[in-house]
Amino acid sequence: MFESFLGGFAILFNPETVIMTFVLMSTGLFLGMFVGALPGFTTLMALAILLPISFFIHPLLGIPFLLGVYKGGIYGGSIPAILVSMPGTGAAVATTFDGPALTKKGEARKALEMALFSSVFGDFSSDLITIALIGPIAAVALLLGPPELAAILMMALIVIAGTSSGVFIKGLLMLAVGLFLGMIGQDPISALSRFSFGITEIEAGIPILPMLIGLFALPEIFVAIEKKASHIIESANLKITGARLKWSEFKSCLRTIIRSTAIGTSIGMVPGVGQVVAAFMGYAAAKSASKTPEKFGKGELEGIAAAEAANNAVNGPTLVPLLTLGIPGDNLTVILVGAFIAHGLRPGPQLMEEQGPLVFAILIAMVLANILFIFIGYLCIPLFAKVVTIRKSILLPLTLVFAFAGTWVFRSNPYDLAILVFFGAAGYLAKKLQFDVTPLAMGFILGAPLEYAFGQTVILSGGHIFSYIFLERPITAAIIVLTPIITYLMWRRSMRLRREFGAEN
Amino acid sequence: MASDTATGEDAAAGGRYNFNTVTAVVFIVLAAVLFFIIPSQIDTPLINLGGAGQSNLEAETFPQIIAGAFFLLGIWYLYISFRLRQHNQLRDLNLEAITNVLVTLVIMSAYVGLILYLGFVVGSFIMVFVMSTYFGNRNYLMGFVVSLAVPTLVFVLFTKPLVTSLPPFPVDEVIPNSWVIYPPLKYLSNKSIF
Repeated sequence: MFESFLGGFAILFNPETVIMTFVLMSTGLFLGMFVGALPGFTTLMALAILLPISFFIHPLLGIPFLLGVYKGGIYGGSIPAILVSMPGTGAAVATTFDGPALTKKGEARKALEMALFSSVFGDFSSDLITIALIGPIAAVALLLGPPELAAILMMALIVIAGTSSGVFIKGLLMLAVGLFLGMIGQDPISALSRFSFGITEIEAGIPILPMLIGLFALPEIFVAIEKKASHIIESANLKITGARLKWSEFKSCLRTIIRSTAIGTSIGMVPGVGQVVAAFMGYAAAKSASKTPEKFGKGELEGIAAAEAANNAVNGPTLVPLLTLGIPGDNLTVILVGAFIAHGLRPGPQLMEEQGPLVFAILIAMVLANILFIFIGYLCIPLFAKVVTIRKSILLPLTLVFAFAGTWVFRSNPYDLAILVFFGAAGYLAKKLQFDVTPLAMGFILGAPLEYAFGQTVILSGGHIFSYIFLERPITAAIIVLTPIITYLMWRRSMRLRREFGAEN
Repeated sequence: MASDTATGEDAAAGGRYNFNTVTAVVFIVLAAVLFFIIPSQIDTPLINLGGAGQSNLEAETFPQIIAGAFFLLGIWYLYISFRLRQHNQLRDLNLEAITNVLVTLVIMSAYVGLILYLGFVVGSFIMVFVMSTYFGNRNYLMGFVVSLAVPTLVFVLFTKPLVTSLPPFPVDEVIPNSWVIYPPLKYLSNKSIF
């Protein structure tokens, strides 16, 4: 694995491509911050509509580009949260507790800079931990056979369905729908065509790109257009005022930032939890550890540092279950899976074995992106503050242009546009009926590997699957037995956190 | 996990018919339909080696497991639904919201036709200009410029450096390749360099 790590440096610093990798990563960071700074436009939407760009370039360029959008988007959400008390993304909700109060005190600049530096610190540290962990975990994952892999995939899907927002059973139903949609096309064992209903265009399966853009980007557009308004924020007088952040102020929050980074990192590695919970937990931990907890919520810099370090620290570690076991931890990483699959790289134990140097090159690029993150964030804070007031009436149709163009270029097939609109409308309906579509997307993506692993298990068992699993595969048996217990514990914790923080998602 | 009180909106007692009940019935019907169409929707192998062949796994098995699970989950959902006290957000939609969503759906459908018959740039120009005006933009000059400039940029980005195709007319004839400084990016699509 260490050879792969060194090989990663060689690939990343290939003189022919290194400049373009960093240019694209910077572009991704900029676009992510731009969209994150727009209230009502989520990082998820940005990732979904920019996903097609990554399809047509080498994964070493395309995936860091998307990682840039991801990182930038999570940070960008803090800008309107601080300036106008409107979180650009769900991850920035905890930042609204202290950010607007600091803006009222005339310390908006300080608050924005604290958000930036703590975000970068959290992101950078957790990225390093991610690299350190991925090798050993991947080495263990390689020892797993098809029965263990099938059991782990099943457990991950159930846990994600259980901890997604909403009611447990609704998450499971969405998962079943996703698994069914994933079955359309060819059976992975015998390659027989199934569920195409005579429609030639889906004989190879539902195309992933129109489906992901439709499910994750279009519903956001529908929600945004429910109310006619030219601007997102009317007549906002946004000026970044006050002194800059001092080193002593940052240093005084360092203990909090480190604590939040640890919280965010550990949460990131657990599928189905995500940035929102991390930010709230980081904030709550900082408040309870503070000597002056009464100041929290009234304009405390430490509150911003706690929430922002925690939510950005989730970004890197979410790749650990994704790259080692092929399990995307949340809806943002589902989009990244789409990018990997488009390049013929199926995340999972085999990926590290077959493409180890490339994966490490992407991870090293992710660490180095944090340097760009500081510069772009610092220089563009005034610009992103203006973004908050951009015309919604112009921005929404332009988002559609990107969504349609990205869908078209996938196969140049008008049918894909119909699939895009269908899944967009379905996603909107699901949102209104309080169904989370993340388990659906996960079921769609993980259905094929699950079926394949299940099929291999049946072959290995020679038709006696129960005795084979419980007598010959103790790890698989243990995972199967533990699945309901783990699911219940995680479901209970997720409910408790939601009740505690009043967070929907 | 019968007490699926996910958001605190669910109450423990009382059996009342609600939107979750209707949705549950729809899911149960879908699952039943799915289960029954499995034999007709899976191709049969051209050469049958007898039984399930060496794999010991019929092509129908996994779909049957999923359809069965789907059905049972639907029944569970139906049972739980009487106790769920979630708010149907579709009911919150006022006339303005419904109109806007429907207009957007119509615009999207028309946009597909516009792209196919007028090309990406012209089709997008019409869609962006009409939609932005409908949603409140009254700065027509800016609307005109943005509606033209952004689709053109998107077209150039996808067709030149990323070497993909979008319905061209009429821009591809207007912008010769030599006018666009894209060769430095062209190698990005060459996956063989690694």
